Amino acid sequence: MESNTADKDIGRYIAGSAEAYFAPDGKRLPVISLKTAASIANSQGISTKEVEITALKQGIVPRRYLRNIGTIGLDGQIKLLGSTVAVVGAGGLGGTIIELLARQGVGHLIIIDNDRFTERDLNRQIMSTEENLGEYKVTVAAKRVGEINSAITVTTFRERLTKENAQKLLGGAQVVADGLDNLSSRFAVEQACRQLAIPYVYASIAGFGGQLMTIFPEDAGLPSIYGSSNAIPEQGIETKIGNPPATPAIIAALEVQEVVKIITGVSTPIRNQILLVDARECAIDRIELRR
Amino acid sequence: MALITVRFYSLWRSRLGTDSATLQADNIDDALAQLEEKFGSRLREKLEADGIHLDGKIQDYSLILLNGIALRNLKSTALKEGDVLHIFPPAIGG
Repeated sequence: MESNTADKDIGRYIAGSAEAYFAPDGKRLPVISLKTAASIANSQGISTKEVEITALKQGIVPRRYLRNIGTIGLDGQIKLLGSTVAVVGAGGLGGTIIELLARQGVGHLIIIDNDRFTERDLNRQIMSTEENLGEYKVTVAAKRVGEINSAITVTTFRERLTKENAQKLLGGAQVVADGLDNLSSRFAVEQACRQLAIPYVYASIAGFGGQLMTIFPEDAGLPSIYGSSNAIPEQGIETKIGNPPATPAIIAALEVQEVVKIITGVSTPIRNQILLVDARECAIDRIELRR
Repeated sequence: MALITVRFYSLWRSRLGTDSATLQADNIDDALAQLEEKFGSRLREKLEADGIHLDGKIQDYSLILLNGIALRNLKSTALKEGDVLHIFPPAIGG
């Protein structure tokens, strides 16, 4: 009862602070600015995320999400702010995934990586800079998220994900996004996601190409492409053709779109089919998978 | 003997310059042997020209599905009319 009253007070406070925004189509929308949201959070002793969610529930859009709402709606943004997404690997794919999820407004990110940035990462790993070489990727990623969207909670694990610790590290996530660079860890993630009954957005890259598939616990998943986990190849063609900068950005962006689709319920994830992207030829193919 | 379609994707398609081919084959082993004979050296030569050296046969460095099922998961090596083999390079990086 007390908290309801407090919620109403905060709701009134937010409504009283809302400004009018005229969208490009002339539609008038009540909005709150970043500064106002932070100030209300501070004065009311709640998080900025809670202020944003309370605002959205009243149809008041935090300005920072104005360009999100047309695709996912107010409800979609509320769901994203209330969700937890785990990103395994904070390198080529993972760095861009983290960057985009922060901008999208996913409320809680779990970031898992045990590695540090090196010079060979600079061509494609969006979080790496000349300045931060040698720093742990999770530390840099958490800082970057804070700079982009301070409303987001970040949990970091500076560990390598294994079969043994996967369930512990991924616990609490609604979705897991793949930023890994090897198949054995991916099989460990898939197995943990099945046990935790959460979807896993799998992706991998090589050269101009990449592949992606969302795997729900009941789906055929990685064995439908690679066979069983005890016969998987150690490495792919990326060892020969490398990973140029555009490929992880393209594939990571598609992964983020899958995460958003899963959480908001907007459209249908790519399930039981493998999406093959060839940026060199601008080609996207899908193969239906069977058990 | 069944008439089957082979579909190439990603780098294999772009280097071979074709997206599909048809084969008359008795079973999977026969289809893979014909695939190697028709496309193996051509693919390796094209890749070699790009500075990419691969050892072995197409089946050794490709992911191959029959009608959407990984070859490793197949219970039978028999083929039937209209079957489709999907072939693409393994992309495992991140």
